[in-house]
Amino acid sequence: MSDAPASPCGGGGGGSHESGEHSPRSNFREQDRFLPIANISRIMKKALPPNGKIAKDAKETVQECVSEFISFVTSEASDKCQREKRKTINGDDLLWAMTTLGFEEYIDPLKVYLAAYREGDSKGSAKGGDASAKRDVYQSPNGQVAHQGSFSQGVNYTNS
Amino acid sequence: MKPFLLSHPDTMYNCSQVYCSHSLAHTSYPCGDPYFGSSIVAYGTQAITQQMVPQMLGLASTRIALPVELAEDGPIYVNAKQYHGILRRRQSRAKLKAQNKLIKSRKPYLHESRHRHALKRVRGTGGRFLSAKQLQQFNAELVTDAHSGPGPVNVYQKKDASEAESHPSRTGKNASITFTAISGLTSMSGNSVSFRRPEHNFLGNSPNIGGSSQCSGGLTFGGGARQCTSVGR
Repeated sequence: MSDAPASPCGGGGGGSHESGEHSPRSNFREQDRFLPIANISRIMKKALPPNGKIAKDAKETVQECVSEFISFVTSEASDKCQREKRKTINGDDLLWAMTTLGFEEYIDPLKVYLAAYREGDSKGSAKGGDASAKRDVYQSPNGQVAHQGSFSQGVNYTNS
Repeated sequence: MKPFLLSHPDTMYNCSQVYCSHSLAHTSYPCGDPYFGSSIVAYGTQAITQQMVPQMLGLASTRIALPVELAEDGPIYVNAKQYHGILRRRQSRAKLKAQNKLIKSRKPYLHESRHRHALKRVRGTGGRFLSAKQLQQFNAELVTDAHSGPGPVNVYQKKDASEAESHPSRTGKNASITFTAISGLTSMSGNSVSFRRPEHNFLGNSPNIGGSSQCSGGLTFGGGARQCTSVGR
């Protein structure tokens, strides 16, 4: 379920938001292309001591990195779905994309999270759903942190 | 539908394709025809896939050089498995940039109404917002101070009179008392109307000045002002 919104953001979402005023488009644009920065800050703070602080530019940099990483993995999964004439990207497609892109070490933890999410979804509990969604969001920054070297290099290349 | 058919071949795309063909030791066909371009793309993709298979079977740390046109200082080597994905993402970003949909500058806030609400809220010591409960305690302490001996009452009135001046001089102790007075004035319903009116004018002119006036009590000591400014943003 959470995979469906990611795919439109990659391609079709940009086209559908072509019309509109400048201010609403600007607000919508940032919300559309980036994850909420408050959620990212909370995740980053979990790795700090209680009195640690994070600069605003650091939060924005990580926000851009994790958003780009999501688009990176999603576009790989989207290519696979298009080859197989399917319209919906599911969790297994994302796991396959992670393997194809060289993130094999994350397949086992992600399978555990995916199984827990599906169990929560089958229960139908709202609280369980929120917890599963939270864990689902936790995947992306985890992947980004471990592969910061190669991915940040790509980001620098884009900036230059 | 394939993304290659949707996207028209632009200069960057042609350069990337030509360079890929060249790096794979294949002859390049410079042609702008969409159908023929698609054919080249399909052939290039297949060739890349075939080329990557032995590399993946061989060394996992193999690196492939990205196209040099986009790099200012030499080529950048990336994971072979991510090569095609990175090129695809570059095309997507280039398309968005052509449509002028990339975020160039960030707004300090997303919603105007929330920003104005935050500017109206009362701040305690250290620049943090006061909750409803803390505000009640704050008002109670203010009333207690008002009911104390005649000496402090005179001091309070004197500070209130000095607050009306444009540039009152203050020491550390007096600054804290003045800060309390400002908060008291802000919380009072009668005076809040007359006090907030010029503040609203400041807000109309510039949000930053409004933020500064909001933290006017804290300007006397640097730490407080810094925290106020950072919270305001």
